[in-house]
Amino acid sequence: MTHQTHSYHMVNPSPWPLTGALSAFLMTSGLIMWFHFNSLILLALSLLTNTLTMYQWWRDIVRESTFQGHHTPTVQKGLRYGMILFILSEALFFMGFFWAFYHSSLAPTPELGGSWPPTGIRPLNPLEVPLLNTSVLLASGVSITWAHHSLMEGNRKHTLQALLITIMLGLYFTLLQASEYYEASFTISDGIYGSTFFVATGFHGLHVIIGSTFLIVCFMRQLTFHFTSNHHFGFEAAAWYWHFVDVVWLFLYISIYWWGS
Amino acid sequence: MLRSLLALRQIAQRTISTASRRQFENKVPEKQKLFQEDNGIPVHLKGGIADALLYRATMILTVGGTAYSMYQLAVASFPKKQG
Repeated sequence: MTHQTHSYHMVNPSPWPLTGALSAFLMTSGLIMWFHFNSLILLALSLLTNTLTMYQWWRDIVRESTFQGHHTPTVQKGLRYGMILFILSEALFFMGFFWAFYHSSLAPTPELGGSWPPTGIRPLNPLEVPLLNTSVLLASGVSITWAHHSLMEGNRKHTLQALLITIMLGLYFTLLQASEYYEASFTISDGIYGSTFFVATGFHGLHVIIGSTFLIVCFMRQLTFHFTSNHHFGFEAAAWYWHFVDVVWLFLYISIYWWGS
Repeated sequence: MLRSLLALRQIAQRTISTASRRQFENKVPEKQKLFQEDNGIPVHLKGGIADALLYRATMILTVGGTAYSMYQLAVASFPKKQG
């Protein structure tokens, strides 16, 4: 019976990279079919197959770690590097949209009336719902830190409570932002103001939804005793991602909502 | 008398707390046994029949979808001339 003499994880052959790649292809083809040929079937299929791939891929990772014990300290170190690099890539992604915003707003063109906000645009009041949203996300940063400390101290009940509060705050943010989107007097097609506002805040909102989903998965794993007090990298990754989402919002609030009004 | 009273209190407390705890028992050891069985089955199928069904469904949808998109590409490549 052979066994490895190193501390790395040689994964079983898996079909999910293939189905993931195919679902991405279906997504791009689906967008073309929607934009140019008024057909939604491919796009819908792509969202379904993408979800199926993600569910099974991450389910397998839970099996490999929690049930099979393959996540040695060496493997965990690699996962830490990976998550940090991924978040860094996301930071650069958002920096692009901030560049676009500052490019247009620092030197507003005559077509906009030479001012920012452009003539005719009534921006949202930064001291109303946007300020509430800021406090909601900041509070969720506190609650997730409480959850982490509870987890490290082995307090199951407090970990669950604090995680639940964090998730509720994330959902509250999403609902508030959806209401703001509905109530705003301007749309995405209202010039460069609308474009920069909705693309930047829209991608942020998507990341809040992704982060909330990650936290819900952590909640379910904590319920089913997956995490131990000193090995819970999935939770730490979710917490890092959540703090990142919070920081992006702070930049959005200060740049677009506050300075940009 | 006092000792049996204390014992009764302990039992009552224990019963109540396990009743609520029965909602979520730690099933990780069972899962560990299932997924560490030396049967050569890859991890994506090792959970049982549901794994195989879900895998098959995913593969059929992705490969079928790819075939459909190739078909749509062929149709789009030969537009019908109008007028």
